[in-house]
Amino acid sequence: MFLNSVVLILQEILEAALLISVLLAFTRLRDVGHRWIVAAIIIGCLGAFLYALNMAQISEWFDYVGQEVTNAFIQLSIMLLLSIFAARHLGRPDHQPSQGHNREFILCMLFIVSLALTREVSEIFIYIGGAITDPSNVQPTLIGAGIGAGIGISAGVLIYYSLLGLPSKWIALTGLLLLSLVAGNMASQATLLLTQADWLPYSRILWDSSELLPENSVLGHLLYALIGYEATPSLYQGLGYVIGMLLILIGTKFTVWLNNAAPKS
Amino acid sequence: MRNRCKQMLIKLSRLRLFTSLTLSLISCYSMAATPTIEIKIQDHLFFPATIEIPANTKVKLLLINLDPTAEEFESYELNREKVISGHRKAVIFIGPLPPGEYPFFGEFYPKTAQGKVVVTAP
Repeated sequence: MFLNSVVLILQEILEAALLISVLLAFTRLRDVGHRWIVAAIIIGCLGAFLYALNMAQISEWFDYVGQEVTNAFIQLSIMLLLSIFAARHLGRPDHQPSQGHNREFILCMLFIVSLALTREVSEIFIYIGGAITDPSNVQPTLIGAGIGAGIGISAGVLIYYSLLGLPSKWIALTGLLLLSLVAGNMASQATLLLTQADWLPYSRILWDSSELLPENSVLGHLLYALIGYEATPSLYQGLGYVIGMLLILIGTKFTVWLNNAAPKS
Repeated sequence: MRNRCKQMLIKLSRLRLFTSLTLSLISCYSMAATPTIEIKIQDHLFFPATIEIPANTKVKLLLINLDPTAEEFESYELNREKVISGHRKAVIFIGPLPPGEYPFFGEFYPKTAQGKVVVTAP
């Protein structure tokens, strides 16, 4: 129970950690204060609690595939919000933003993180809620959850400081690339969920890297949690991933910005 | 005794699986419905733990959780993941798949909840 609890919670926290760390790094670059993250975590956890409480009913929507449809909807909303965020706020690093612009910047991130946490933390609540119905499981489950969360949060802190430790002109660019991976992952997962619900038709497997890097290896788990690694992704997943990434990168007028960022000689 | 009971249960569910599969295959031809296979979750175990499906066919898995606690159906090979609340049902579509073995497990109780989908060539 203990080890299972560590792994499960760590995986969910890691998924959110990359997104949150990158957004916090952008917050730092913009110098608008980190207080929004506290609000986002509170709203996200409340949302997750409500989602977990109603999961049984939600799952029965649309002929028992309500869970997939709702999760896919959340994932696609996050992807769209991320692309709006990137297009409106990450394209012009030298631009001096107004106060209203800053408020929108914070609100956007608040929405994105709250939505992401609602989905990810709800699974933690459902798991813990079930596990602790057996009194002998309460202690190992909760200690395991605490350790898993601790490792996940430490990984997030590590990502945050590694990003900020980069040469200054690379911070925003790397952050943007990481956000595009998050968006690609969201879109890819959404197509997978919709296929699982039979809302999207089957599409062929793009490649099989399960021999090279199995999904149930430590590295496989880590890459799955962070950037959505799949050993046997479907064609739609691949397409979703590319579209998600492009939405972010094109949105920020990536090429123009790259030219601006390059040192002028 | 318990083992014999379990074997009988497996045999019974295999028989039921066979009939339901045949019936659904027939209906598949007559009205193009997706064959449905029932899997029960009880005491953190899957019944049946092994299901057989034909190759290159989309199949609807109907998971019935008889436990009071939630379980998460997960399979790396099938690329499937879904929470099934306690005392509830859930549907997961799988396939069409090439012949082979596709293990699945319950992520919340992986020590006991293990199973596999065996895809056989027609």
